[in-house]
Amino acid sequence: MDFKKLLKKDYIILDGAMGTMLQKAGLKLGGIPELLSITDPEKIIGIHKSYIEAGSDIIYANTFGANSYKLKDCKYSVSEVIQASVKCARKACEGTDTLTALDIGPIGQLLEPTGTLAFEDAYDIFKEQITAGHDADIIVLETMTDLYEVKAGLLAAKENSDKPVIVTMTFEENMRTFTGCCIPSMALTLEGLGADAIGVNCSLGPKELIPIIEELSRWTELPIVVKPNAGLPDPVTNEYNVSADEFAGYIAEMNRYGIRLVGGCCGTDPDYIKATVKALSNLKPVSIHKNIPSAICSPTMAVVIDRPRIIGERINPTGKKLFKEALKNKNIEYILGQAVEQIQGGAEILDINVGLPDIDEREMMVRVVKAVQGIAETPLQIDSTDPEVLEAALRVYNGKPLVNSVNGEEESLERILPLIKKYGAAVLGLTLDKNGIPKKADERFEIARKIMNKALEYGIAKKNIFIDCLTLTASAEQEAVIETLNALERVKKELGLKTVLGVSNISFGLPNRGLINSTFLTMALTKGLDLPIINPNMEAMTGAVRAYRLLAGHDRNSSEFIECYGSQLQEKAEKKDADYSLEYAIEKGLREKAREITSALLERHDPMHIINTMIIPALDKAGEDFEAGRIFLPQLILSAGVAQEAFEVLKEKIASSNDSSVEKGKIVLATVKGDVHDIGKNIVRVLLENYGYNVIDLGKDVEHAEVLRAVRENDCHLVGLSALMTTTLGSMAETIRLLREHGCDCKIMAGGAVLTPEYAKKIGADYYSKDAKQSVDIAKEVLG
Amino acid sequence: MVKIESINTDEALRYMGYKENIDIDNIKDIIYDCENRLLSAAEPRYCYKIADIERSEKISVKNTDLVLEGKSIYGHLSECRGVILLAATLSDKADRLISLMNVTDVTSALITDAMASAMTEQLCDIAEEEIRRENGIKYTTFRFSPGYGDLPIDIQRDFIKVLSAEKKIGLTVNDSNILIPRKSVTAVIGISDKPLPKQKRGCAVCSMKDSCQYRKRGVHCGL
Repeated sequence: MDFKKLLKKDYIILDGAMGTMLQKAGLKLGGIPELLSITDPEKIIGIHKSYIEAGSDIIYANTFGANSYKLKDCKYSVSEVIQASVKCARKACEGTDTLTALDIGPIGQLLEPTGTLAFEDAYDIFKEQITAGHDADIIVLETMTDLYEVKAGLLAAKENSDKPVIVTMTFEENMRTFTGCCIPSMALTLEGLGADAIGVNCSLGPKELIPIIEELSRWTELPIVVKPNAGLPDPVTNEYNVSADEFAGYIAEMNRYGIRLVGGCCGTDPDYIKATVKALSNLKPVSIHKNIPSAICSPTMAVVIDRPRIIGERINPTGKKLFKEALKNKNIEYILGQAVEQIQGGAEILDINVGLPDIDEREMMVRVVKAVQGIAETPLQIDSTDPEVLEAALRVYNGKPLVNSVNGEEESLERILPLIKKYGAAVLGLTLDKNGIPKKADERFEIARKIMNKALEYGIAKKNIFIDCLTLTASAEQEAVIETLNALERVKKELGLKTVLGVSNISFGLPNRGLINSTFLTMALTKGLDLPIINPNMEAMTGAVRAYRLLAGHDRNSSEFIECYGSQLQEKAEKKDADYSLEYAIEKGLREKAREITSALLERHDPMHIINTMIIPALDKAGEDFEAGRIFLPQLILSAGVAQEAFEVLKEKIASSNDSSVEKGKIVLATVKGDVHDIGKNIVRVLLENYGYNVIDLGKDVEHAEVLRAVRENDCHLVGLSALMTTTLGSMAETIRLLREHGCDCKIMAGGAVLTPEYAKKIGADYYSKDAKQSVDIAKEVLG
Repeated sequence: MVKIESINTDEALRYMGYKENIDIDNIKDIIYDCENRLLSAAEPRYCYKIADIERSEKISVKNTDLVLEGKSIYGHLSECRGVILLAATLSDKADRLISLMNVTDVTSALITDAMASAMTEQLCDIAEEEIRRENGIKYTTFRFSPGYGDLPIDIQRDFIKVLSAEKKIGLTVNDSNILIPRKSVTAVIGISDKPLPKQKRGCAVCSMKDSCQYRKRGVHCGL
């Protein structure tokens, strides 16, 4: 018997709870139940057998928590525990057709960005389990709440075995997991990554799972799995409140949503499985006609391409001096700022392009993808010409991304399409090949058809193939404009593919570019453009898309449009108030005002004058007020934030005039390895930047070696380290030791809640910084 | 999920070093905005277990393999027959909101961080109240968390495991024994059959007294 054969049965019966059975048999809370496979195998085999007798086609081996993190302090290795557990299960299956599943639960640590476990480390942990469990027939990933963790597990399973993989996640009544993963995102991502069956287990009883199964059935063609708890537990007695017969009744109710694999989770026992088998015996699986839409997603947000959706184009260094500098300095904060600004502007997907000749694009891409996903829900379009960069990004992306791009050249198709298939992404095809961009619409259409056919050959579904018919510059090739639009229309109508178009190129070299861009955008939308790539910060562009969605009937009752524009008049009126000085704006925390005033000042003064006679004195005053207790920390930071706003305006000016005189020196900042508290460090950063220092912020939970590398690469002479927990002070000491050991010519300042001047000295820091204000004094002393 | 209608802003301000004479007019709107955003983002949840304890040299929690070591917890539970083990979290949505604010506006991040700490305490208050009411518990000690006094912080892992807190409320602990999501609390609450004498709280018995930020600023954490 194997899984494929099993799928020919109407229903595949899974087992019920292992933990519940063990607790009934007297296992203490907090113990490691997997060790019983070694110390008391007969008990485990007995439980398995009772499920097989009840009718289970697949039993889950006692391996749920057998990973290197949970077994850390235990005398048996992961592979010993897993092999013993799989052996128990196989033993119980002897002489039956029942299959053994290697059961893999969550690692027990939260992955980045919320937690500190790196994606790559999670992969390794799963890989170890999968390798150890090679004697099982099937791999199960269950009780998962973090889509990122599931992805690590599923990739590890697919890359290190050829067994079928069943994945079930755990949802709450709000239809999301604890980490916010929604059902469409789960289905889109896991189906793409090659799961063989997906579904839900644990957390809720069968009744509460009905709406969740219903929603899942709309989003997947895969066999659906359900393994509910026996209702909800009593917090004191831990007894569950749904009987075996009620349980089976609810399962039968779920049949209409096409369930195929059924079992029980916490609180269930062989009686529940027997009752379920009985309830299903006179039913037939229901096959539902589905029309799963074209969509991409992050864990928390699926963007369905059922109307024009805006792709933000701003994360791209081409022609942007500040962006290039940010990439060279690894200034992730700057890039994140661009991400947030575009989302606020109306972007629904963000293009990520970090290609620059003198940087490690692969490393930067991975970093930026992780960082942007750490703060934004918006799905991403991964944009690179280098297949290795694309693959690295596809690996670490959480969800289902869009890849930009392939083109009609064989080499491009053969290199990139397998990656799209393997990682379950959607792909953007450019209608060009080795001969360049064809002049005529018909030729571009043919390339689109070729890309589509090739993608289909690789098993990529039509709904995941998008085509960009390429915008040429109207000033240079006026007649090409209509060719692009005609090609787009044919691709949409005749091939039935979604269409993408970078819009801004159209107006290059012309005056009033905004007008040309928005007009061209509107023309393209009426031809069937689905995904305009635009600058979402340009009101005329986002506005055109929103207006189109209203007029074409996508924006029902104009609700989105009214939400965006309904209150605009009022706001404009409010902004009209008296003139302030820059100093006043900094003191009172008037961010917008500070920008305006600074722009106005720049017409009369040079940037250094504004910094030295207005910004710095205002900041010094805020610092004094803070020390004297007239204002408190958030007010100091507010003033610093406003000053930073003014700096941004100045920086733009300076960047365009090639003057670097404002920068006083580089400072590396980091919250040390193991620590995730970064508010204090961020406050220090803001203040230092205000005083003109170039801060290289490495973020939180920073590897010791990463600090060393940054100090060396940047030839930096001052390092600030932060730790907020007694448990991470050792990590700070280790970082300092490493810097000293390598003879770095830099001063080190240390700070953080639990640090004392004595301890800072003891671990070899040059300075103890009691607060952000003091870090500025230290920087002045060290760097001038 | 626990419904929390408003955040104890005064408490949050105090965490940030606020003193009475300071005029906060210029941050009032920001505070209000942070409160609303946090209230809509956070998903406050808790889980607990009530257990008897056994006293030898250390305190063991019956039917679990959790052992509470140290003089301070021993003293804390000296009049108690059992404990409530409590775990509470605002979920990773609170962490993510603060991370996002760190990019857009550090002032808001700072304020929201303090707000989230205050909200976590409120969540614990609500949880404690509900647990007492639902289980008819009359007399309890204040909440005592791993890392207080000499109760080792490295029991976090066992604590989480005994409560199945990962499964029930999505709470985990990292290699440095930091609870993740960050805005979370674990605590031991002693249960007694008779009224308890007023307990010593405050700086003198606190293990953080030499390095505490509040003390450095001349204020108090409130415990």
